Amino acid sequence: MLKTFLISYKLKNAYRVNSIIYSLKQLPIIKKILPVSLYQNKALKIIGNIISIIIEILTIFLGKFLYIFFCIVAMFPVFKINTPNLFIHIFLFLTIIGAIMNTYMFNPTKDKYYAMIIMKMDAKKYTLSNYLYSMLKTLIGFMPFTIIFGLMSKLPLWITIIMPVFVVMAKISYSAYTLIYFQKHKKAKSENNLNKITWLIVGILLLLAYGLPYINITINPIIFIICFIITLILGIYGIKIIKNFSKYRQIYKQILTYENVYVTENNKSTKKIKENAEKHIKLDKNFISNKKGFAYFHELFVKRHAQILTAAVKKQAIVIIIIFFLSIIFISKNKEFAGTINGLLLIYLPYFLFIMYMLNRGTTITEAMFMNCDHSMLTYRIYRTPKVILGLFKQRLKTLITLNLIPATLIGFTLSFLLYISGGTNEPLNYIILFISIISMSIFFSVHYLVMYYLLQPYNANTEMKSSTYSLVQGLTYFVCYFFIDKKLSTFYFGLAITFFCITYSIISLYLAYKKAPKTFKLRV
Amino acid sequence: MKLVIKNLKKSFDKKQILKDVNFEFQKGKIYGLLGRNGAGKTTLFNCLSEDIEIDSGQFYIEENQIKEITPEDIGYVLSTPNVPEFLTAREFLKFFIDINQKHLKTNKTIDQWFDLIQIEKEDRDKLLKDYSHGMKNKMQMLVNIIASPSILLLDEPLTSFDVVAQEEMKQMFKNIKKDHIIIFSTHIMELALDLCDEIVVLNKGVLKEIKKEKDIETFKQKIMEALVEE
Repeated sequence: MLKTFLISYKLKNAYRVNSIIYSLKQLPIIKKILPVSLYQNKALKIIGNIISIIIEILTIFLGKFLYIFFCIVAMFPVFKINTPNLFIHIFLFLTIIGAIMNTYMFNPTKDKYYAMIIMKMDAKKYTLSNYLYSMLKTLIGFMPFTIIFGLMSKLPLWITIIMPVFVVMAKISYSAYTLIYFQKHKKAKSENNLNKITWLIVGILLLLAYGLPYINITINPIIFIICFIITLILGIYGIKIIKNFSKYRQIYKQILTYENVYVTENNKSTKKIKENAEKHIKLDKNFISNKKGFAYFHELFVKRHAQILTAAVKKQAIVIIIIFFLSIIFISKNKEFAGTINGLLLIYLPYFLFIMYMLNRGTTITEAMFMNCDHSMLTYRIYRTPKVILGLFKQRLKTLITLNLIPATLIGFTLSFLLYISGGTNEPLNYIILFISIISMSIFFSVHYLVMYYLLQPYNANTEMKSSTYSLVQGLTYFVCYFFIDKKLSTFYFGLAITFFCITYSIISLYLAYKKAPKTFKLRV
Repeated sequence: MKLVIKNLKKSFDKKQILKDVNFEFQKGKIYGLLGRNGAGKTTLFNCLSEDIEIDSGQFYIEENQIKEITPEDIGYVLSTPNVPEFLTAREFLKFFIDINQKHLKTNKTIDQWFDLIQIEKEDRDKLLKDYSHGMKNKMQMLVNIIASPSILLLDEPLTSFDVVAQEEMKQMFKNIKKDHIIIFSTHIMELALDLCDEIVVLNKGVLKEIKKEKDIETFKQKIMEALVEE
């Protein structure tokens, strides 16, 4: 068993090191300096191994520290009580949730997939040795922090020591139950695909963890000790079940499917996006178009993707209208509220940069454009002629701007109107600036996303995102918008500045798109 | 008309895939491009269709005078069919006919084009997402033929067809070859020998034409030797 564990650990370490080297190769400037024979470089492998060990240690300790600190200790100020019981109370319920949701054994991970499905390693030996290692990591990782934070919460030392044992035994008990369930029903439970009842149980446990202390109810140490003893007995029995279970290969054949391992790991994976985009294609046989060429092509795209293009815009419009009417009611009923709103509208326009960023549909629509259209069409040389690229770009820009202008116009109008009814302003230009700046922001984001898509076209033929520059630009966009959230600036000056910026940016980026897109808009190889 | 490739070189990182490709492909012929896995057949096609930039060298069309290759001159049929799944087959053809109006040499109707590749009437107004792999492949082939490029690059185009469709397609290539330069990449030697007028081997980054032999076994032996030549 030790041999199996060492082989599996070496395998995991090897691809972890290769992943580290691969990540280095993706960095814009560094990738040009690094040699091709990177994966053979011994020095780099050693550095990779050191980083890998650091990651392993971090997963043992840092995760547990963050968990106890943020989920338990940092929550104390929320409650009126602050007794040792509070620590035990939250810890107990979160441990039960963790036993269900974080089993290790039923988590479909890549290392299990590589070892048991691709390399055909002995499933039982692999599972038992790695499970033992994982439980030891849990025990050792929790121990220092239950002791430190437990003693800080004035718990007796012996209770803080048995707490990690409780965590391990709870996990073992639930895993053993899942194995028994498999033996009876022949159905494996992946921890990434929990059913509704399990989610309900988790929700109730969460409510008990944080809800009861809120109304001054906590369990006392005696209940915890009873729970501990029960879990200990179940855990010891569970160890026997886990050790004697013989159908690990069958269970993992169900859990370790390609979709479970690769798709659920990242819900935004391109495969998922593509499936989602495809699902929204609707055929309307009565549709007739008089257009020709790319105008015809684009009209069909819009028509067939009406749901994906307009559904969110409609929802946004409804929410804005509801907020608008509610604000009118509150402003007319409450003078103080009206004053606050008036003040906010005159200094909080920067906040709307983030709101307009969040509302803009640019990312989703360009994703749909690629997955359902450009992914296939870019393989045709004729589709990549400047005439077709720019012709379609114009059509798409019009659509994107129009769609995003629907909520933007409503917001612009709402803000100006609310400013007026909440007490008005000495500077009448503020009404126009509010409206124009919101419209400018909307146009800016529409242009920004489409131009970035055409200039950096980030996907390859396998619909994988391959441009670190594109991700960087997206991250920067978010960061800049987020930065403006709490900035208090005069609506008059900020509005003028942002309008000027949006117009200038749009003109420059459109010029760049017209100049460069015929060369840059192609599938990444 | 001929496609001339001169001193074409392409490397990825520091690995040279195309070392020094020199060749002339003549109009009216189907060339079978053979090469081992990783020899660079797809790279060569990607270079010619300008999907990737070449490191050095040149390629052009020569017909009385030298002419730079434009997008309209190249049709590239991939082994995996790529069609816009939100369109019906008819709409897809209409779009392609629209954007290629200037280069069209015939006045065939959309249904006549469908007839050419044997797409059944009841399938013509279906969304392409509901087409089988083979039918999508036929559509991909058809739009490349409609665009009527001088050069057709076919990367393993017949692998997903059933035997009947394969024979139909082969016949179609033979029918259209007089107006085109067709370069047909495949791993199947028998298919290349059956369909192609000339056999070209890509090995060690260099293109080499294999002169035909009367005896088929001797010819096969020569091809094999060229494929494994160090």
